[in-house]
Amino acid sequence: MTGKEILKITLNLVVIYLIGGLILAVVYAKTSPVMFQKAALEKEAALKKLIPDADAIEKLGDWSIHEKHSEYFVARKNNAVIGYIIQSFGKGYSSYIDTLMAVDTDLKVMKISILGHAETPGLGDEIETDTFKNQFAGKDTEHLKIVKTETADYVQAISGATISSRAVTEDAVQNGIAFLIKTLKEQDGHGTNKDTE
Amino acid sequence: MALTKTPSNLELIKNGIFKENTIFRLALSLCPSIAVTNKLENGVLMGVAVLFVQVMVNITVSLMRHFIHPRIRLPIFMLIISGWVTVADMTMAAYAREAYKQMGLYIQLIVAFASILARAEMFASKSKVVPSMFDGIGMGLGFLFSLSIISFFRELLGKGSLWGYAILDAKPLLIMVLPAGGFFAVGILMGFFNWLSLRYEKKM
Repeated sequence: MTGKEILKITLNLVVIYLIGGLILAVVYAKTSPVMFQKAALEKEAALKKLIPDADAIEKLGDWSIHEKHSEYFVARKNNAVIGYIIQSFGKGYSSYIDTLMAVDTDLKVMKISILGHAETPGLGDEIETDTFKNQFAGKDTEHLKIVKTETADYVQAISGATISSRAVTEDAVQNGIAFLIKTLKEQDGHGTNKDTE
Repeated sequence: MALTKTPSNLELIKNGIFKENTIFRLALSLCPSIAVTNKLENGVLMGVAVLFVQVMVNITVSLMRHFIHPRIRLPIFMLIISGWVTVADMTMAAYAREAYKQMGLYIQLIVAFASILARAEMFASKSKVVPSMFDGIGMGLGFLFSLSIISFFRELLGKGSLWGYAILDAKPLLIMVLPAGGFFAVGILMGFFNWLSLRYEKKM
């Protein structure tokens, strides 16, 4: 290979890759604002869906789990607290599962929803099905445990996806509630519970 | 191409679906054919995504074939493939959120599909735009057809349902939705198609 040929090949590659990079940059610049905007709207709608009774859902603050940024919210109806919504992550089989859970004032789960994940299609992604998610309703931390047999008291693992089921139940939801309990205790210590005043 | 009669567009499509079917005849892209076919819905969506990328890649490669130095054609094909995959991924994330939630998991996987690179190399880089497009359509349809058949049997036998709707009360063969079942399904179907084509060729 002569020097001239090397130069020609290099130039060919550089030009085409530059064009490719430019095209992708333009598409990203066009699509990403729309994408972020829609994702934010979806999150709002997802919050409302978890506690439909609430007439106001306010952000309380931020926290982090698995070094990921999460948020937590309080839901009010006629100015009285009726529940909390916590975003949490569980370490699954091939991704961190982004989970939202609604908890009532007795710290029992009302509902959960899965915001995002990259678990195995067809197996792990069954954490999104209602059959799995509905199992969480009315359960407290004592009963948020995975079992592999049929159960009404605990959460039944999805067959073939025990790791993903466990990540949602014993990692994301358990840790989310534990965080809420800790935070509420600290708040009580400071005497900021407005409802009793 | 120069010696044989140029095949018609219809022949190109038929070629992709039957004679050079990516999975059952060429045995390419077997990885996704096992990984995403445990539900009919997944198989069909993946097939549609591949059909789109295959057609766009074939057209682009064919249009650019005079500007690509033969020694560096592979990195350039890879750029074209990953470029189209990324464009599809970003566009869907912004404008087709519902579909993206279903297909988002699969779209990025397409970058690594041998079948798409193989068609760019074997066909599109040597052919004009229109035949390349029809070759892409044929190959994509063949892939869609194969994945649909595999996932049809796997979901029906493994879960007793189709497209998420329960058909049978029982789960006759749970192993079919697990990875091992993918090998069984692809192997048995490939054998069946080989047997079909043997019979077909004998009659000729």
